[in-house]
Amino acid sequence: MLWLGVGLFVLYPLAMLLLRAFLAEGQLSQGPLFAMLGERIHRQSLLNSLILATLVGGIGTALGFVFALAATRCELSAPARGALDALAFLPLISPPFTTSIAIIFSFGPRGLITHDLLGLTGTSAYGLPTTLLSEVLTYFPLAYLTLKPVLAGIDPNLEDMAASLRAGGWRIFRTVTLPLCIPGFANAFLLLFAASLADFATPLILAGSNFPVLPTQAYLQITGLFDFKGGAVLSFVLLVPAMVVYLLQRWWVARGHYVTVTGKVGPRALSRPLPTAARIPLLAVCSALAVVIAYFYALLFYASVVKAFGADHSFTLAHYRVIFTEGLKAIRDTLIIAGIGMPLGGLFGVVVGYLVTRKRFPGRHALEMTVMLNYALPGTIVGIGYLIAFNDPPIVLTGTAAIIVACYVFRYAPTGVRATIAQLQQIDPSLEEASTGMGAGSFETFRRVTLPLVLPAFFAGLGVMFVRSLTAISATIFLISIGWTLITVRILENMTELALGPAAAFSVLVVAMVFAVTGLIALLLRRLRAPGTMALAGSMGG
Amino acid sequence: MLARRTLIGAGLGLAAFAALPAQAQQTLNAYSIWPENWARPMLEAFEKQSGIKVNFLRFSSGEALARVIAEKGNPRIDVLFGGPVETFAAGVKEDVFQPHKPPAFGELAARFKDAGGMWTAIADDPLVFMTNSKFLADNKLQAPQSWNDLLHPAYKNMLQMADARTSGTAVTRIFSILEVNGRDEAKAFDFMKRMRPSIQLYTKSGGGGTLPVGLGQAGGGIFFIVDALDTKAKGYDVQISFPKEGIGTAAEGIALIKGAKNPEAGKKLIDWATSPAMQTLFAAHKINFVPAHPKVATEPSLAAVLKDAKIFPIDDAYAGPNRKRVVERWVNEILPGG
Repeated sequence: MLWLGVGLFVLYPLAMLLLRAFLAEGQLSQGPLFAMLGERIHRQSLLNSLILATLVGGIGTALGFVFALAATRCELSAPARGALDALAFLPLISPPFTTSIAIIFSFGPRGLITHDLLGLTGTSAYGLPTTLLSEVLTYFPLAYLTLKPVLAGIDPNLEDMAASLRAGGWRIFRTVTLPLCIPGFANAFLLLFAASLADFATPLILAGSNFPVLPTQAYLQITGLFDFKGGAVLSFVLLVPAMVVYLLQRWWVARGHYVTVTGKVGPRALSRPLPTAARIPLLAVCSALAVVIAYFYALLFYASVVKAFGADHSFTLAHYRVIFTEGLKAIRDTLIIAGIGMPLGGLFGVVVGYLVTRKRFPGRHALEMTVMLNYALPGTIVGIGYLIAFNDPPIVLTGTAAIIVACYVFRYAPTGVRATIAQLQQIDPSLEEASTGMGAGSFETFRRVTLPLVLPAFFAGLGVMFVRSLTAISATIFLISIGWTLITVRILENMTELALGPAAAFSVLVVAMVFAVTGLIALLLRRLRAPGTMALAGSMGG
Repeated sequence: MLARRTLIGAGLGLAAFAALPAQAQQTLNAYSIWPENWARPMLEAFEKQSGIKVNFLRFSSGEALARVIAEKGNPRIDVLFGGPVETFAAGVKEDVFQPHKPPAFGELAARFKDAGGMWTAIADDPLVFMTNSKFLADNKLQAPQSWNDLLHPAYKNMLQMADARTSGTAVTRIFSILEVNGRDEAKAFDFMKRMRPSIQLYTKSGGGGTLPVGLGQAGGGIFFIVDALDTKAKGYDVQISFPKEGIGTAAEGIALIKGAKNPEAGKKLIDWATSPAMQTLFAAHKINFVPAHPKVATEPSLAAVLKDAKIFPIDDAYAGPNRKRVVERWVNEILPGG
């Protein structure tokens, strides 16, 4: 049954996508691939995408590391750390292109920063630099959330030993701390690389005509020309680096465990704080970044309450009135879809996680790998795959809410699977064996013993499902229909029509709703006394 | 066990959900190519007047047409609402419409209808040049008066216009360039190649570049007058001008989808939209479309803007059969740049 679902919503669309890309007149051929790659714009786009993804990965990882160092090694007070976390959380829970709005206002020949503040001329708001900036700001929190536990998990005794051998602070950092972080770096880099490779919305708004990237080209090819074949081929080209990254990541993550599995740390488990000389530049970088993020979001909020940004700055609530009247359907549809997707996705995560860790059955690892597939692939591929697979008989789902729900469940429940696996690995199976030994059936045991134990993972899964239902766009933009539309798609539509007021107001609403719901879930988790917020925050990739 | 039960339950739940019964009230589904802020007041007025509930979703014209073609086997909508004539002409070629001649049909000029009744016009929408006043002043330029003015070095990397893959504004622009070059494709594409270094961004929607031009982030662009005048009305300091060689105007159409599930409701909308009942609402809502119906007067300030402009209609008999090929050529030759 599980395999049926996974097969239908993970493997089948992917297979259909590949078929569409490589089937020419009933024959398998690489002809379409070469034809596509023969066009200069597509080769150029591929190259640009790889450059962009590499830069986003590198710079984002570096910034994430700085943030993680500041959070773990600078003896910050709890409120300061809280602020740091909240700030890192903000770009993660916003629709992926919200910073693009602020960037269009800030850079370029009349930009608030480049022109009004710095008096520069001849600058442009479009191209690699602004796209890079927007993506780095959006995705660096993934690196922060990946690296923070790694840094915090390093056994302080190792560094203390180095210190007692009279190594200087810098030397310890360089020869002990940094090497221990390498798997974390790799993991963060790859996460960011994949996220950038999937992002078509930011480049759609910011890349400009001289810096085409592949996800955007695939999107335009499909939505504009309904060239399924071309879109499928372009997605396949995207699939190759994404798969390489995914496999590399699995490999690194598997290796990465040795960092934390150093045995129980003694009672004095405090990490070595950094010397003041190192703290000042670190905190300066963090503050600068914080200011930039705060500035962008303030600008976004401002744009949502003025009549016409750049022309008429008188206060108005008209944009909010627009989203709550004309946009009401999108809000309602989104919440209904999120409402259905949340429990399904949460349950799916727990059930698959449970089966994979606790039951021995053939194809267990294959199941886990397959389930993670939709999560690891760029959303454009998943969306196009769904569109191709479910647009024609035997299974017609396009135009329904079901296709969007299925897309969310199979794309974002895997984070719940991961959380469940992590949770269960810390729980001794003997608890369950005791229950079975006393005559309870396997279902009874699951319900009364295991389920309560994995509740935190379940709620983490719920949180991710909700956040993603409200913010994701790359896959679902292909799946909206006359009956079912989504807030994120409305925002993008508003942005590309440059109805900025409503776009900004929608974005503010999304951020507010997500903060409210994740706050509620965090509260629930705290009552369950489980450190689940990290699992929630740490699994927002893609 | 649990997994099986839950998933079956979930599956059933979803199935039930997907097949919610149709409401008793008469409904109508449409894709609107007009941006929401133009389409909504019109469709709401229609709902009020007819009691028919209209569900609509906005797409750029390329997207809307592509969807309609993809859904041919199982149409999801009844009416394609708004959008330049070349989109409708291409739709006729793809056989996605069914004829319906509204009462206004006889009164409309020949260029405002398909002879067979496959589509009918609801408005006329000329293209214009729109430039940022400060940009012009900084570069000591006049608002462009000729297509060739756009080749001036000051415009390098400063123009925004729509992407022909998604936007009908772009396709109308390309057909305008073809017309002023006597439909000589080699000459027209050569001009577009020379204009290419000026392009900063190709936008997904036709009006996408209006705000950057308004803000001064771009120097100018080619837009439909309805978008350009709206930008000006919002308070952005922009200038609207017309090239002396002439520029195209696109009839904005409406059509009944072949195999529509609610054909009667669809026909009612078409009858209403092609009549003065809807087109007199343009002025009231400050929507600067030129009415297609001869009995509706053009709003005076709009008429003043258009007074001396040389404007020619896009010929659907030429645009329809050539649209696909020309767009593909644009994608291959113009989009990548030099």
